[in-house]
Amino acid sequence: MSDVTAGAPGAARGQSLLAGSARTRARRAREWRMKAYGIAAIAISLATLFFMLATIVMDGAPAFRQATISFPVLVDEAIVDQAGTRDAAAMAKVTTIGYKRLLGQGFIAALEARGIDREGIPDKDLAAMISDDAPARLRDRVLADPGLVGQTIEVTAYATGRIDGYLKGRVTRESAARDSNVTPAQLDLADRLMAAGMLSLRFNWGFLTGPDASDLRPEAAGLGVAIIGSLYMMVLVAIFTVPVGVAASIYLEEFAPKNRLTDLIEVNISNLAAVPSIVFGILGLAIFINFMGLPQSSSLVGALVISLMTLPTIIIATRAAIRAVPPSIRDAAMGIGASKMQVVFHHVLPLAMPGIMTGTILGLASALGETAPLLLIGMVAFVTNFPAGPLEGGVLDPATALPVQVYSWASRSDPAFIERSSGAIIVLLVFLVIMNVAAILLRRRFERRW
Amino acid sequence: MNDMRLVERDVEQVQGKIEARGVQVHYGEKHALKDVDVTILDRTVTAFIGPSGCGKSTFLRCLNRMNDTVASARVEGRITLDGQDIHDPRIDPVQLRAKVGMVFQKPNPFPKSIYDNVAYGPRIHGLARGKAELDAIVETSLRKAALWTEVKDRLEAPGTGLSGGQQQRLCIARAIATSPEVLLMDEPCSALDPIATAQVEELIDELRAQFSVVIVTHSMQQAARVSQKTAFFHLGSLVEYGETGQIFTNPTDPRTEAYITGRIG
Repeated sequence: MSDVTAGAPGAARGQSLLAGSARTRARRAREWRMKAYGIAAIAISLATLFFMLATIVMDGAPAFRQATISFPVLVDEAIVDQAGTRDAAAMAKVTTIGYKRLLGQGFIAALEARGIDREGIPDKDLAAMISDDAPARLRDRVLADPGLVGQTIEVTAYATGRIDGYLKGRVTRESAARDSNVTPAQLDLADRLMAAGMLSLRFNWGFLTGPDASDLRPEAAGLGVAIIGSLYMMVLVAIFTVPVGVAASIYLEEFAPKNRLTDLIEVNISNLAAVPSIVFGILGLAIFINFMGLPQSSSLVGALVISLMTLPTIIIATRAAIRAVPPSIRDAAMGIGASKMQVVFHHVLPLAMPGIMTGTILGLASALGETAPLLLIGMVAFVTNFPAGPLEGGVLDPATALPVQVYSWASRSDPAFIERSSGAIIVLLVFLVIMNVAAILLRRRFERRW
Repeated sequence: MNDMRLVERDVEQVQGKIEARGVQVHYGEKHALKDVDVTILDRTVTAFIGPSGCGKSTFLRCLNRMNDTVASARVEGRITLDGQDIHDPRIDPVQLRAKVGMVFQKPNPFPKSIYDNVAYGPRIHGLARGKAELDAIVETSLRKAALWTEVKDRLEAPGTGLSGGQQQRLCIARAIATSPEVLLMDEPCSALDPIATAQVEELIDELRAQFSVVIVTHSMQQAARVSQKTAFFHLGSLVEYGETGQIFTNPTDPRTEAYITGRIG
């Protein structure tokens, strides 16, 4: 600043050092204010971050626990296998409606067996306390093992979203009185089931592994498809961008002549990094889906679009890393008679590697959170079928991605999706933290001094 | 400097190794080197002296075409090594640099082990068949660079972990491992303490037996101590070139005299 003004009259000769001059005090004050601004800025950002994390964790943590009801069910041959052949193909004709009856009967029988008073709740309302997801699961289980027919098996089924919400404090008797999906009497029964140990909150693996579910059964909605979709996309993005990005950076930094054309390319790479992501979505829709005819909602198209977005970031980071390699190392190698290629591959790249990897991982991490372009290429679709394995062309199957799942759950009407939306954010943040930690560890591991 | 018996130092009569005729260098607009004619002798230490920015390092970098790597540099004139024009389009600068090694001002070992630093040149030029030969080259080079006894027990340690003087000697070992015919040294002692400097100077004197050594230095004492021929550069021109004893005791050009007596520079 203006500290160096000529002819400062202060600090007269012979003045004690202890006295301190006005000028020094002013400088001190300026320094103190600067520090205070810095600390205030950090405090504000930390407070914001803490508030955001606290809200998300408080909203999202319940999504990882789920109310489940356990009771024995008699798999009645008369309902599921009228022919008595135990032939899975024939049994598949029985739809989930039949299994729903089994569950209802089993639940009522279990209440009677345990002597739990149903207080006049009609059969239909009792059965409605069990998630609509349960019959489908029971059916899959029986079809996979027809030997279960005729036996009494122990079933652990999700309770409906309202009962689940009651255990987590989201649903109260007052709200239940106004709600056509649940009655206060059912909530009373839930209390008695809890006391009897039939109803409990458990860790919800289904939230991480299961596919999405409709508005009618939020308790069954899971992130499985979204996690697989995001995983496929990240792997594909890495495969597409790293070789192209590193090759482009090496060429631009080490081989390209410095002329108008390369200047133009450089400017446009920076511009590309600043293009709004939704524009890339439109590009992807036009080129990859409409022109090239790739299947929409597929992780391949998502990965291609995100690759286009990530490429400039990776090129910029890689070029910075390459430029940070001291020229003395290049001179040294060149002075011994290494060719340009040898200089780059023996010396420059190994030294730039930590920077390249950090840049790449951070680029991938921001790509992981990218939502807007995926909306345009149809990845916001409601997908309940898992994509196939990566070798069976799973990247062409419809999938969703984590941030898109957050978006689509946040726009659903059932309040149970609010906690799931926040839960999905937690999962997404955990992935991001893992990637950032990996970036830091790689940097530490490969960092060399010169 | 009167104890150096400069006048009595004899220069063996050897033939020219590098001939430079009418060398001009431009860095963009700047005319860095003007019309330099020099004949560098084989098995001789030639010192380039002169004030900062006078073009001596620039000229040194012309001799192994390191200026090729500077985008804005333009070199004109004719430089021959053993009679061959080094700017001949058929000549690969990579091969030229294997023949004309270089040691830089700042020690710049690779961030690799000591062994790999020295072995790098022989490896890329395929000078050794098998590990035993490579080991031998590494040992000889380190011995020539007077570093062997200090590092022989820790060849796998990183070269960057050595002291400044050791690093510079490692760089010299690395440069001589490819058996160059000419060794260019750009102020090799500027980052070294007097003891390391003395070791490097001793080394230069020994290297003279096999190589032609060209050394750029800011220290006139150093030039006087190690060289047989001295060239004085000033403002991009070669002012005077002759036997070291003559340059330091009886310079013909008034500018040379002014420089060595400390009036310009």
